[in-house]
Amino acid sequence: MNDVAIRTKRLKVGLEIHVELQTRSKMFTRTPNVAHPDFEDAPPNTLVDPVVAALPGTLPVMNRAAVEMSMLVGLALGCDIARFSKWDRKNYYYPDLPKGYQISQYDLPLCHDGEFMIRTDEGDDRRIGIIRAHLEEDTGKLGHDLPGGSTFEGSLVDLNRAGTPLLEIVTHPDFDRAEDVVTFGQELRVLCRFLGVTQGVMQRGHMRFEPNINLEMELEDGRVVKTPIVEVKNLNSFRAVRGAIEHEYDRQEVEWRETGREMGPGAKSTYGWDDEKMVTVLQREKEDAHDYRYFPDPDLVPVVVDDAWLEEVRAQLPELPAARRTRYVDDFGLREKDAVVLVEERGLSELFEASVATLNDGSAVAIAKLLLNQCAKRANESGCGVHQLGISADQIAGVIKLREADELGTQSIDALLALLSGSDDSARELAEREGLLVIVDESQLDAWCDEAIAANEQAAEDVRNGKMAAIGRLVGHVMKSSGGSVDAKSVQAGLRKKLTN
Amino acid sequence: MTNAPRHTCTEIANAVRGGERTAVEVIEETLAAIDASNESINAFREVFHEEAMETARLIDAKVARGEDPGRLAGVPVGIKDNIATTEGTTTCGSRILEGYRSPFDATVVERLRSEGAIPIGRTNCDEFAMGSSTENCAFGTVRNPWDTSRVPGGSSGGSAAAVGSGMVPAAIGSDTGGSIRQPASFCGCVGLKPTYGRVSRYGLVAFGSSLDQIGPFTRTVEDATLLLEVMGGRDRRDSTSADQPIKDVVPESNVDLAGMRIGVPRQYVQSGANDPDVQACVDDVVARIESLGGQIVEIDLPLTETGISTYYVIAPAEASSNLARFDGIRYGYRATDDGSGLEQLYARTRAEGFGPEVQRRVMLGTYVLSSGYYDAYYKRALQVRRLIKDEFDRAFKSCDILLGPTSPFTAFELGGKPDPMSMYLCDVYTVNANIAGICGVSIPAGMDQADADGRRRPIGIHLQAQAFEESKLLGVTAALEKVLAFDDTLPG
Repeated sequence: MNDVAIRTKRLKVGLEIHVELQTRSKMFTRTPNVAHPDFEDAPPNTLVDPVVAALPGTLPVMNRAAVEMSMLVGLALGCDIARFSKWDRKNYYYPDLPKGYQISQYDLPLCHDGEFMIRTDEGDDRRIGIIRAHLEEDTGKLGHDLPGGSTFEGSLVDLNRAGTPLLEIVTHPDFDRAEDVVTFGQELRVLCRFLGVTQGVMQRGHMRFEPNINLEMELEDGRVVKTPIVEVKNLNSFRAVRGAIEHEYDRQEVEWRETGREMGPGAKSTYGWDDEKMVTVLQREKEDAHDYRYFPDPDLVPVVVDDAWLEEVRAQLPELPAARRTRYVDDFGLREKDAVVLVEERGLSELFEASVATLNDGSAVAIAKLLLNQCAKRANESGCGVHQLGISADQIAGVIKLREADELGTQSIDALLALLSGSDDSARELAEREGLLVIVDESQLDAWCDEAIAANEQAAEDVRNGKMAAIGRLVGHVMKSSGGSVDAKSVQAGLRKKLTN
Repeated sequence: MTNAPRHTCTEIANAVRGGERTAVEVIEETLAAIDASNESINAFREVFHEEAMETARLIDAKVARGEDPGRLAGVPVGIKDNIATTEGTTTCGSRILEGYRSPFDATVVERLRSEGAIPIGRTNCDEFAMGSSTENCAFGTVRNPWDTSRVPGGSSGGSAAAVGSGMVPAAIGSDTGGSIRQPASFCGCVGLKPTYGRVSRYGLVAFGSSLDQIGPFTRTVEDATLLLEVMGGRDRRDSTSADQPIKDVVPESNVDLAGMRIGVPRQYVQSGANDPDVQACVDDVVARIESLGGQIVEIDLPLTETGISTYYVIAPAEASSNLARFDGIRYGYRATDDGSGLEQLYARTRAEGFGPEVQRRVMLGTYVLSSGYYDAYYKRALQVRRLIKDEFDRAFKSCDILLGPTSPFTAFELGGKPDPMSMYLCDVYTVNANIAGICGVSIPAGMDQADADGRRRPIGIHLQAQAFEESKLLGVTAALEKVLAFDDTLPG
């Protein structure tokens, strides 16, 4: 029992992240990959061929696309790309591991020594060092539920996931706040989605997090104590990541008080996460850790990346989300919040930029608003992304032009977007053809305004007395009379002219 | 034994293509020969009676339509039990795969078929190709056709005995440390281990992946060349298969031994290294080459004996991992589940399914890869492997071909090598070709002295050439074959 008082207590976390790459085929065979959107709902054991099932006589053949995706992520994380890396076998027995070994990269990872900057929730920029990013294959899954929901006595093996390309990214233990780990994870997800290497659906396990956590405590008596490192396996939500780290932050202090155990050789243990109780659960102590007997896989040849290949991949590297975000705020004057949303989807970001480039008149803020409000609403209803609505940058620009010329009323935007979705015609052509353009007949507008004032005496009186909020009621009346064919701005101006002389 | 006339693959294919014989006749004759001899030899574990006849009829139909049925038209080929075929069961001589049917053909089998060859049956072998006598086979012992009290060698003993006995003109086997060349020498046939990467390993059940190569057993060098041409070449299903033009294997024609530098490593012929009959045979071959104007060069390969210990680290290490898939989960033998848990189920499945030699090597391999031992054993073995390769590179600077005996002795008695170490030493002359990845061939060169019963056994000569120099190797071997004129007619 340690009862020395603790002067300071500092959290130390390093992170391992597994990213399932969305290549069409698996890491070492041509069978479809369950992490690709086309195959994500395949029934159990339908994405299996002799190589996946490790039938006698089968051999792995490397998927070049998976290596390229990994290089892309590595480059985005500022890593060095190894010109020579190789494949190693990690040997252990488990029913979800058909060959009895996992093909991975042990001492020569494809990517190494990078960094990733995050902006913390407190507004600070923090640099997180990346030790390495290596490629391996995922395992299958064990379950107990039969298709249809009934439970099976015993274990069922589903090999659909076996052989999915998996990129394992390992950070330095540079985190000292759970919140920063979550921010990092979210940013990394945005980055990987932006690069198109994963859909990043957390519930599907496209990204899984394994924090390595311990504490550094300075005691009243001047000693500095480090608690043994705990690795928490397989967290697939940010809530779990935060919860596991926070729980360990408390638990490790309690454990140290009870046992006095400190960091040292053989003192690392593995925990799981109980999502319901929100606690970490001991899985195994280091003493019974596996000896994986890594050795180079003699069935595969080393990965040699020459200049040409590296440059080819580098050329595919887009401007990254963080840089875009900064540019949107600094150059376009967007709100940080809007910039964040715009870079979450590469397609959206590209649509935005193309629209801005089409107009080239400083209407970026208006474009962002249109995309993030009316377009987003529409996309949400259709269950797709904004960039998948079938509306081109030219059409977006066209809508903005109509708005700026006061030729399109707010209420007509939705109708016009609906028409644009299914058409190659310009915004102006469609709006004209469908009668969506604002009526500029002044006498008609005048008549509608008079009508509204007559029908809403009280509101008119209020406006005359300076209660400008009351004008909304009158505007609404005119809008209704016009069937939405007038622009609210000009209506308001017209009413104001009549009532505030 | 069979009294049917023995033909070569080339003869059969020519006759079938030329319409002089039908494939059906060839297969009927072959099946009759197998029926007559297999009971005493046990070369074949399974024979594809119906499937082979069906294929033969398809080939004959092709000939009738005027189409070319291929360069191996109608040639029956025995397939070693560790090479996948869709016919029959692919068991690797092991209980753990008893009844296992492969849904696919090995690449070599596909390629043989595409040239009209007919897989005729599966030949017995040491379990997972681990052995030098085919006694480690779960499906009975194979006998040497020249002397049935003797072993056929191993691990491809069934394939060697099938060709040596005249049941088939050709068979394929695998060679990880000598498993084609040594049984070929014991059974009096030609056995070729191609350069590592020359032939696709897809469909060969892996033993030592960095050492394994598939190769042919035939009666002549010409046939061995033909089979290699058909089977070899890049295969996108095997990343380690080389992108080397297969025409490179065609022998240099009419090689004049007079122009050749034949290296004889002193470690292959030093005093006491070989049985006297074997030594005498090698001396005789060397003398004949010299008399034909060949230049005999003395070579020093000091690491020759080191090969065995290097091999017995690398091969078991790879095997321990390669054989991990035989866990009773997805296919093959599974111990009855007594509810004692997953680990116990694995342990009992493998203890009951694998024979003692396989278990020994899995344990050995697991040990040398374990943390704390890896550097001392596995890593060191890889370093020595490099040195052995360098030693060959140096040797091939001063000679074209290396020559020596395939085995220090001729076929030994069944049960004659009861301890593993003496069995391992069988491969002393062959194993380094696998370690260095070069090519080697054994051809029959003579017979040993008759024993009390008047029986004699073949002696094989081993020729090796630099990686991807099959053309030179086979050219020289063919020239030597002419000189040696070995008679492969079985006695009585």
